[in-house]
Amino acid sequence: MNLIEFNDIRKTYTIGTVTIDALAGVSFDIGEHEFVAIMGPSGSGKSTLMHILGCLDTPTSGAYRLEDHDVSELRSNDLAHIRNRDIGFVFQAYNLLPHLSALENVLLPCTYSTHIMSGRDEKVRAHELMERVGLKDRMYNRPVEMSGGEQQRVAIARALMMNPPVILADEPTGNLNSKGAREILDIMKELHADGKTIIYVTHDAIIGAQAERVIRIQDGRVVADERN
Amino acid sequence: MDLRDSFRNATRAIFAAKMRSFLTMLGIIIGIAAVVMLMGVGNGTKKSILSRMQSSGSGNLYLTAGARSNVLMGGGGPGGPGERSGVSSGAKITEEDLAYIEARVTYSIVVSPTNQTNITIKNGDTTMSGTGIFATPTYFEVDNVTIADGRMISTSDIDNRTRNVVIGATVQTTLFPNESAVGQPIRINGASYNVVGVATAKGETVGSSVDTAIVLPFSDGEKSFGVVHNVVQRTTIKCVDPTQSSAVTTEITDILTRKHKKVDFSIQDVAAMTALLTSSMTTLTTLLAAIGGLSLLVGGIGIMNIMLVSVTERTREIGIRKALGARERDILVQFLIESSLLSIAGGALGIVISVLGSDFIVSRFTTTSITGSSILLAVGFSIAVGVFFGVYPARTAARLKPVDALRFE
Repeated sequence: MNLIEFNDIRKTYTIGTVTIDALAGVSFDIGEHEFVAIMGPSGSGKSTLMHILGCLDTPTSGAYRLEDHDVSELRSNDLAHIRNRDIGFVFQAYNLLPHLSALENVLLPCTYSTHIMSGRDEKVRAHELMERVGLKDRMYNRPVEMSGGEQQRVAIARALMMNPPVILADEPTGNLNSKGAREILDIMKELHADGKTIIYVTHDAIIGAQAERVIRIQDGRVVADERN
Repeated sequence: MDLRDSFRNATRAIFAAKMRSFLTMLGIIIGIAAVVMLMGVGNGTKKSILSRMQSSGSGNLYLTAGARSNVLMGGGGPGGPGERSGVSSGAKITEEDLAYIEARVTYSIVVSPTNQTNITIKNGDTTMSGTGIFATPTYFEVDNVTIADGRMISTSDIDNRTRNVVIGATVQTTLFPNESAVGQPIRINGASYNVVGVATAKGETVGSSVDTAIVLPFSDGEKSFGVVHNVVQRTTIKCVDPTQSSAVTTEITDILTRKHKKVDFSIQDVAAMTALLTSSMTTLTTLLAAIGGLSLLVGGIGIMNIMLVSVTERTREIGIRKALGARERDILVQFLIESSLLSIAGGALGIVISVLGSDFIVSRFTTTSITGSSILLAVGFSIAVGVFFGVYPARTAARLKPVDALRFE
């Protein structure tokens, strides 16, 4: 069964009188438990693709089905609900809230959850996740007190908080040294082994080669879709 | 997102920028303090005027010669604004007029004719100036003057043209600092009199105070002080039922107009004056509050300004929160609570300052009266300001597209 179905997704930006096709008709399916890298040079449209995949942006046209829902028809509240429940985000710049501790950052998605999880269960889970990403001793540190690799691991723990089926990572290793990058990739591989669907965007061929499947984007189109 | 989280977020954000939050609040602090204090001064002034009016006798009418169209005091009778004849035309009120009125009026009234002149009072080597009030025994009842020591002027004092007088409380303390004046001789304009009573201190009233006056028998005026024969300068008429004052005014006006064949007198109604003063003081208080309200408006704009800056600064945070599942409403509530908290905290500080400030004003300048209602009004206003001026920035934040907010550097 397909978790994600992209059917002729287009995204058009109009800047002044110039119209730019960031995505010029993209179609693909991603099944459950896949480990996919989306690759392409900068300006290829892969970030736009990522934003639409993550329901952070809506396509100009085309159909996007996520878990059998037609996401392209949903309104902002429902999209917020999907972002909260179905998708875990990992960003290049970590995007942790600087005034919160690592643990509070991990707990942040619960704030917007309609799930009924008791405050104590939430804390227990957040502790477990921090332990899982190897940051048991850094729970109460703020992001500025942590290295890039540590911050990104906090971000992964946060992405896992609501136990979403999909982890979407946008250049997750882009700001990290090779050691940090390896750690992040290892965690993602573990998550994949645990049954998560992992989709990440990268322009780095070495990082991209770690995935089971690589979708290559250029000028807003899919130019290759290969399995390693 | 539950409200507790929202409040925690908001207080965090406020404390994260302490100086800025305080400066933002300052506008509200000043605004609320101004509104509460100005209303306090207005209410206090109104109260003190009212208590003065009441101590000079509610339900009293003042009958004086000469038709006056005194719009402010609401008296004047049917003379109308055109006929401003005044006393100089020879108009006068006589004792016969008063007897005529008393014989015909259908309401229950007490009439107190008085004449006044400035006098010099002397006991031994101590001299003071004061007011000589030539009055009948009804004066004490009508003007609410009670006796602290001794007795009032009696009917026999009038009939026998005695030289018995009642002195005011200030006269007693000034001229007889160490002993009761009752039974003592006193010199008024050089002539010798005998003190039979001391009036209770009244404090300030409308018109001349009895405290610095000496009450003399009405009949003594023309004999010793050159008061014109058979003329009553001012007559105070007490309506036994104060609610009838307006009807009594009308009736006396009719009676006296018939006798004089014209309106050459005026009747002022204390109740009407009080009502008028009360309403004009209320207007003044409202005006003062409105002036304070202007600074509150400016404070509100300050809040809106700083919230807009805050939204811009935290665009990325908004993007992150949206990526994690925050709905538009969650973001809206977050910023609204923040602006309301700023405003409410400012309002609370403003109330504290106004209470302290009004103590300061009371001790130096005038009476103030901070009422519960003006504090409630201030609290309500500061919440309203926070919400009203917070809505626009909060909506701006809530409506940001997640992707745009995340991209914001």
